[in-house]
Amino acid sequence: MIKIHKMWKRYHHHIANDWILKDINLIIPPKVSVGLIGHNGAGKSTLLRLIAGMDSPTRGNIWRKCSVSWPIGLSGGFKPSMTGRQNVKFVARVMGGGDEEIQRVIAFVQDFAEIGKSFDEPVQTYSSGMQARLRFGLSLAFDFDVYLSDEATAVGDKAFKAKATKAFKKRVGKSSLIIVSHSEGIIKDLCKAGVWVHDGKARWYEDVNEALSDYTDSLKNRTIKVPTSS
Amino acid sequence: MKKRTPWQVTRAVWYAMFMREAVARTMADRMAWFWMLAEPIMFVTAMIFVRTVILGRTRMLYNADFVPWLIVGLLGFFLFRENMMRSLGAVEANSGLFAYRQVKPVDSVLVRCFLEGILKSFILVLFILGGYLLDLKLIPDLALEAMFAWVSLWLLGLGIGLVVSALAGLVAEVGIVVKLLSFPLMILSGVILPVTMLPYFLQPYVLMNPIAHGIELLRLGFFEHYVTLPGINLLYLWYWIIGTVTLGLMLHIRFEMRLKAQ
Repeated sequence: MIKIHKMWKRYHHHIANDWILKDINLIIPPKVSVGLIGHNGAGKSTLLRLIAGMDSPTRGNIWRKCSVSWPIGLSGGFKPSMTGRQNVKFVARVMGGGDEEIQRVIAFVQDFAEIGKSFDEPVQTYSSGMQARLRFGLSLAFDFDVYLSDEATAVGDKAFKAKATKAFKKRVGKSSLIIVSHSEGIIKDLCKAGVWVHDGKARWYEDVNEALSDYTDSLKNRTIKVPTSS
Repeated sequence: MKKRTPWQVTRAVWYAMFMREAVARTMADRMAWFWMLAEPIMFVTAMIFVRTVILGRTRMLYNADFVPWLIVGLLGFFLFRENMMRSLGAVEANSGLFAYRQVKPVDSVLVRCFLEGILKSFILVLFILGGYLLDLKLIPDLALEAMFAWVSLWLLGLGIGLVVSALAGLVAEVGIVVKLLSFPLMILSGVILPVTMLPYFLQPYVLMNPIAHGIELLRLGFFEHYVTLPGINLLYLWYWIIGTVTLGLMLHIRFEMRLKAQ
């Protein structure tokens, strides 16, 4: 279970320091997968980072009463000059366990990522899709209660997306997901509940379809201005 | 997943980071090992050249041979300086790893300083062995005192490194100032010119610099009959060590999130 209580967040900058998240109160029950939706810059990724413990709230509290993964996202988490194997080994060591456990993690990731010989080449030579495979496989090598994903599957090809979705579906009932995605298909496919992040507030929906329809309605009501070049 | 105690998590993080840093530091660059040894050798050779050929000075300095005296001072200063400079870059170089919440900015500084100290100690031993073969009188007369002074310089580098790494993460200009200071500090710490040669009225100011204390203590450990300034004090050096380590750790606790976010 993850409990967020009266949480406020802002970043300090030289000019503006507006609140990004204002008075968030959420309880995410165990084993319920949640989709975070909202337009760009609404604060979805910030909320995910806060849940992951990468950042601390300006006010309020977050309780994590379960093991939570790092946010599986598009970038970060790897040292580009080191090989895929060395990076995986590093994370396996951080997560603890003996040599056997480290070997198991490496074997699992190598098998899942299917990037062949590139596994022993520096991560900076990888394409974004290959990095996504490695990142994704690495997080699945550990048994977390909650997996956090920030558009993790966005860059993968069709086969990888299918594999990732299958891997997550296998874990339904054992662990849950909190995902940020702009793909309605993925959210509908994997999530039961939804959170709509809008104007610094987060609204909880038992049914993810309601969250998606409210989000879509809000977009219709906005007058869309297209800048014209003169 | 099994729940680990904070100490177990920290141990796992230190082990993982140490292995990674050790590989990066010694293997990533194909000449890394060579430069680790060549840099002090070249520096010592250049300094000996300047002193004996250009200035034409005598060989002895206050009851110590000039060449071993210079080598000990330089290695001691390099130990301090590298700990400080490596710490300065540690947080930024490992920023990608803070995605794993177990890894904290202070871990990167601690692990780097530990590794740097081990490498520099290894080089010191190599120099002592090489000096022995060349009959340079580099075997410390008072080994325990020399070792203690060496560890003290190491810890001083760690303490100052902890402070500047936190400050540089908050105010980037601190890093530039520290880099600028590194050469003048070598002169002010009596690495090349002995502090004992300074005029009397300047000596109190030199004695404010803890690095000078550390280096002179290291030389006292190596050369039993070496004559140094009367104000050289181990306790003063340790006040600095305890002060800077405490301040550095406090800064890292207080500004942990801001250092992660940079």
